[in-house]
Amino acid sequence: MNKFSMSEFSMNKRIFVALAVMLVVCGPASSQTGVKKRRPLPYEYGRVIIRNYSEKADLAPVVFEHWIHRSKFTCRVCHVDIGFAMKAGGTDITAADNARGYYCGACHNGKMAADGKTVFQSCSKKATAEDAKRCERCHSYGLKVASDYDFFQFSEPLPKERFGNGLDWEKAEELGLIKPSASLEGVTIKRNPLVVQKDFMLNPKVAAMPDIIFSHTKHTVWNGCELCHPEIFVGVKKGTSHYSMVEITEGKSCGVCHTTVAFPLADCQRCHSKPVQP
Amino acid sequence: MLFNAKFKTTIITVLLFLGLAVFCGVRAMGAPQSSAAPASPAQETWRKEFDDVCGKTQDAMSFSPEELTELIRRCDSLRPQIEKLDESRKKVYLGRLRRCRGLYAYVLDEKKVDEKKKEKK
Repeated sequence: MNKFSMSEFSMNKRIFVALAVMLVVCGPASSQTGVKKRRPLPYEYGRVIIRNYSEKADLAPVVFEHWIHRSKFTCRVCHVDIGFAMKAGGTDITAADNARGYYCGACHNGKMAADGKTVFQSCSKKATAEDAKRCERCHSYGLKVASDYDFFQFSEPLPKERFGNGLDWEKAEELGLIKPSASLEGVTIKRNPLVVQKDFMLNPKVAAMPDIIFSHTKHTVWNGCELCHPEIFVGVKKGTSHYSMVEITEGKSCGVCHTTVAFPLADCQRCHSKPVQP
Repeated sequence: MLFNAKFKTTIITVLLFLGLAVFCGVRAMGAPQSSAAPASPAQETWRKEFDDVCGKTQDAMSFSPEELTELIRRCDSLRPQIEKLDESRKKVYLGRLRRCRGLYAYVLDEKKVDEKKKEKK
């Protein structure tokens, strides 16, 4: 080996070592800062992947589509009366729970009717090979499974919005295009009609940012009181709690729903909606 | 005589058979059983109490501190009964109870703060 090739070899070695060091250092660094998340497509918004026990049972995780369920029931029915947690994975649903008629099994029991069809049964105590197709209706993560509901067909007649599912759910209900039920027979407790609290205004910390008009009417009709107070909003009275956009973006307070299912934070003027006085 | 004795035995046998068939038939034709564990009268009592206590959350703001305290006490006494239920029921109803008790407790706290403010004034 001559002198030149020796130095060339040494140079190559140095470059190789430098690249290896860069890989070792930059790898964890980039994973810590993270890559910008892709904004979910309208039909993906609100999707929850439930994988507590599925993989242990040799099943694909469950893909739960919020859009179809929220068109049928108010948030309160599922998150208060049926008892689903507000955080993905927080309910710890088991197949046995569903088979006993709780959680998904409260509606998916092979008896309840919706849209002129019988709602398919969720989990059953003894699943046969013939049940595999039924299981895959929910346990469909990573599989190509045809659904009874097509998002584009469903959303076609509904009023549009810019973000989230691309739909104005509130307006859709006002127009009678969707009729989310506020009760589920045998599950919901018969309650007195709700005394709707007044809407109120919140002043943002940032100057020149329009005030927030909080629609208590809409929130209480869809959620009741106990879904938000005290677990999401620790103070009942206005001004008791202070919220920051950083915390909201992290999924606290308004962010519990408005980063996951309800219209997202990018839709600023739907909350910061009070016209600025000239 | 022998014929009479044989006849009587046959009739008794037939009657016994029919009785057994009717008894079993009634049992088989009874109300359909739900997949959930059958509710005993004790379970029914807790459910009635649960529905009564947690069915008032809509009116939480209109209750006096004394009424709210009583509702919280009733929630607390329901808890041990719910803890005895099967895993699924326990999970569902403890969660529901937590939410309704939580609401009453927070409204009560707010009312107490309000009362203190009024006293100061």
